[in-house]
Amino acid sequence: MKTTISKQFTVEEPIAKVWDHLSSPEKIVVCVPGASLTETIDELNYKGEVMLKFGPIKAKYSGKITFEELDNDHYKMRLNGKGLDSKGKGSADMIMNGVLTENGAHTDVDCTMQVTITGMLAQFGSRLINDVTDTVFDQFVQNFKDQLAGKEVDNTLSAGSMIKGMFGRK
Amino acid sequence: MIRCKTSKEISGMGHSMKRKEDDRFLQGKGNYVDDIQLPGMLHMDIVRSPYAYAKIKSINTEAALAVPGVIAVVTGKDLEQYNLHWMPTLMSDTQMVLPTDTVMYQSQEVAAVIATDRYAARDGREAVMVEYEPMKAVVDPYKALEPDAPVLRSDKEGKTDNHIWHWEVGDKDATEKLFNEADVVVKEQMHIPRIHVSSIETCGCVADYDKVENHLTMYMTTQAPHAIRTVIALVAGHVGLTEEKVRVISPDIGGGFGGKVPVYPGYVIAIAVSFLVGKPVKWVEDRSENLQADSFARDYHITAEMAGTKEGKILGTRFKILADHGYTDAAANPSKFPTGLFSIGTGSYDYGTAYMEADAVYTNKPPGGVAYRCSFRVTEAVHAIERITDRFAMEVGKDPAQLRMENFIKKEDFPWKSPTGWEYDSGDYHAGLKLAMDTVEYDKLRVEQAEKRKNGELMGIGISTFTEIVGAGPSKDFDILGIKMFDSAEIRVHPTGKAIARFGTKSQGQGHETTYAQIIAEELGIPAAHIQIEEGDTDTAPYGLGTYASRSTPTAGAAAAVAARKLRDKAKKIAAYLLEVSEEDLEWEPGKFFVKGAPEKVKTIQELVFAAYTNHPQGMEAGFEATHYYDPPNLTFPSGAYICVVDIDKETFEIKVRRFVAIDDCGNIINPMIVQGQVHGGLTQGLAPAMYEELIYDEDGNILNGTLMDYLVPTAVESPSWETGHTVTPSPHHPIGAKGVGESPTVGAPPAIANAIVDALSPYGITHMDIPITPYKIWKTLKAKGVIE
Repeated sequence: MKTTISKQFTVEEPIAKVWDHLSSPEKIVVCVPGASLTETIDELNYKGEVMLKFGPIKAKYSGKITFEELDNDHYKMRLNGKGLDSKGKGSADMIMNGVLTENGAHTDVDCTMQVTITGMLAQFGSRLINDVTDTVFDQFVQNFKDQLAGKEVDNTLSAGSMIKGMFGRK
Repeated sequence: MIRCKTSKEISGMGHSMKRKEDDRFLQGKGNYVDDIQLPGMLHMDIVRSPYAYAKIKSINTEAALAVPGVIAVVTGKDLEQYNLHWMPTLMSDTQMVLPTDTVMYQSQEVAAVIATDRYAARDGREAVMVEYEPMKAVVDPYKALEPDAPVLRSDKEGKTDNHIWHWEVGDKDATEKLFNEADVVVKEQMHIPRIHVSSIETCGCVADYDKVENHLTMYMTTQAPHAIRTVIALVAGHVGLTEEKVRVISPDIGGGFGGKVPVYPGYVIAIAVSFLVGKPVKWVEDRSENLQADSFARDYHITAEMAGTKEGKILGTRFKILADHGYTDAAANPSKFPTGLFSIGTGSYDYGTAYMEADAVYTNKPPGGVAYRCSFRVTEAVHAIERITDRFAMEVGKDPAQLRMENFIKKEDFPWKSPTGWEYDSGDYHAGLKLAMDTVEYDKLRVEQAEKRKNGELMGIGISTFTEIVGAGPSKDFDILGIKMFDSAEIRVHPTGKAIARFGTKSQGQGHETTYAQIIAEELGIPAAHIQIEEGDTDTAPYGLGTYASRSTPTAGAAAAVAARKLRDKAKKIAAYLLEVSEEDLEWEPGKFFVKGAPEKVKTIQELVFAAYTNHPQGMEAGFEATHYYDPPNLTFPSGAYICVVDIDKETFEIKVRRFVAIDDCGNIINPMIVQGQVHGGLTQGLAPAMYEELIYDEDGNILNGTLMDYLVPTAVESPSWETGHTVTPSPHHPIGAKGVGESPTVGAPPAIANAIVDALSPYGITHMDIPITPYKIWKTLKAKGVIE
């Protein structure tokens, strides 16, 4: 079950600051709803966890986070997160591509998230997974903006917030 | 049209007698497997694989065993100690009961949790930790045959690819020559989607092993209890469960449709656990487990071709099949027929050249290939021939009804030998289609359609004129695991003229308790109301292969008639003795024998039965009982002519079935009301794959619609108002001239609906669409054709 979502947005911050946040694991991972870093292997490889909960289903993926690309000159990065559910209910694989472009004093952010889910969650089909991924992504963007603005980031993800997110939009 | 020989009081054949079983069903007094409660009974739940293909690195049961009420967690390694970790399938393939190292499809059984109640078992299931190493799944059957595809069944010695078997029938060279030389050849690639029977009751069992008596009672949802008993004895004989020590009971069954023929791992695990702990063990699947793991049906990829003349004469057909069997060939076909009776696919048309071939393949999907309300792959065959016939009509520019009328096998040409070797017993295809056309007012509809097309409106008319092949089957060709496919009836008439009759079949909603009683009433004159029917207990019923593939009336129904005739012969001897005349002087009228020319000298069947116990002739065996094992001389060939009218919204492409006329010919009719009920249910289950149902897997082998939220089983809301009727062409070789009807509508409806939709879209150059045809699929197809933006 694969789903790909792209989002473009602009932040009112200079590119160097935005890149500093996007390319730093400690800063970027906490913007991903439900995610946390548990171990640093080296500067490109980390161990982490992602908790997802929707409806009656809870999944806790633990695995590896790798920066597959970190191009400081062109402000391009690719992050790969791979995890297995701790209870053996399935696996998740996420590739995030981020590119920054200078836009005057502001920065344009182009982000693509490709999520592959196997197992119990995948059985819900695209009907649910697309919406959930989209909501998670929106929340990520909001968290990222908040962090840049110096606000506190709450990256817990709950069924309540997700359902509100899914239905609130429409 | 149906003439009854018996009075309403007797209610023999042709009477719309109300179903005897409905008294208990309508009052909620049915007794299903899940209703069974035994003292000390344990409950089982099953841990299932989230992956389609993965190595099992470890199974940690510690947390599960700590759940209050959980007493054991059974894994493949545990069963391996008793050599019970695998089992044979009905197709002589092998299947894991529980895996020891690798899982082969999503939702496969991985471990079983045994607990004192069902909730504890479910909690325990959630607590079992399994560590997997996922592998790249093989999902597409065509890719599975590529040389670099991983070999999935590495457990089978010497296996170097994913190919299971090759099958062919017909004259390959003659067909090739014909196709090379024919004026017109049409060809379409079709997929008959993987679907699921989704019976209301899921599968389950209560395995009750008595250590003291060394005896197993197995209550289970099976359509074939006797065959299951034999299989259990063959598989578990080495641990002492020989056949006399096994009793299989099928209580009331809430729908089977072929899905309750196979043996599922859950049954075997329950038996193994009960055997080891000496307590009854209950296992009942939930809805999603049933949908995701139990036997699928169909999943045939068919290349269909038809050759003919410019004038529209059909000359030959050629079909090439790729059969996706999933992890193992767990179909339930007769042994010699790996593609079931697909070879009926030459259809209702008079031509002499055909060739069919099939290859089966393993993939990382659940196993199966069961005959879902269809006599072994007949649905797939009928879809192919009826779709390609329409395609041919389109190519030669002929009305599909007229083309069919011109190509039908004629009534007087029966028995008719088909190019794939079947001998069709009887049929009147012209009469059936004519009645359907008259009922629907076909010519008027075509005029209306022409008018609507001028305005760009989408209206379609689809026809399906199918020939079914049911009643498996004659022992020279038909067996399952070597057991011949006869069936049986045993009638015992008590001294007061009331009877009990037992059968080797098993009703799952077909109404056997009524129709069998009516057959016996017809032959013996005892009121059907006085005849109790019993099935499903191997300790009491005579041996038989069970109920599926529309075989019950053709086999066990025939056995009932023949057994009843044996009793009528005995009654005649007693009547001759009591009336002091010779047997030749007696005449039969339903319910009594009287002396020719002297109707006042009469003995009723009840008097004669009483005499069999109280005053039987010297030298005659006392009592009034008979048993018959009926081995049919041929199969029966029911037919039907279905016409479907659809209107498609030109903005949303929503499909509305405006009318559906179904004319069935199932030979002589036992109970018209039950036939109508069967046809209504069958048509709805034919509508399902035509417009709604398909089990969808992604490239990793995840099922994407594993719940009834996403797998769309049609309800009364989606079902159109079915218009039914019949023609009657009795089977010449069947004792009561009946043919079987349970499956005809499921087989005949999908191509009628698909043909109607394609007909509606044909002005835009569309010649074929795979089922299920949804508004989205129509939109995509029209977009691809450039018809819409």
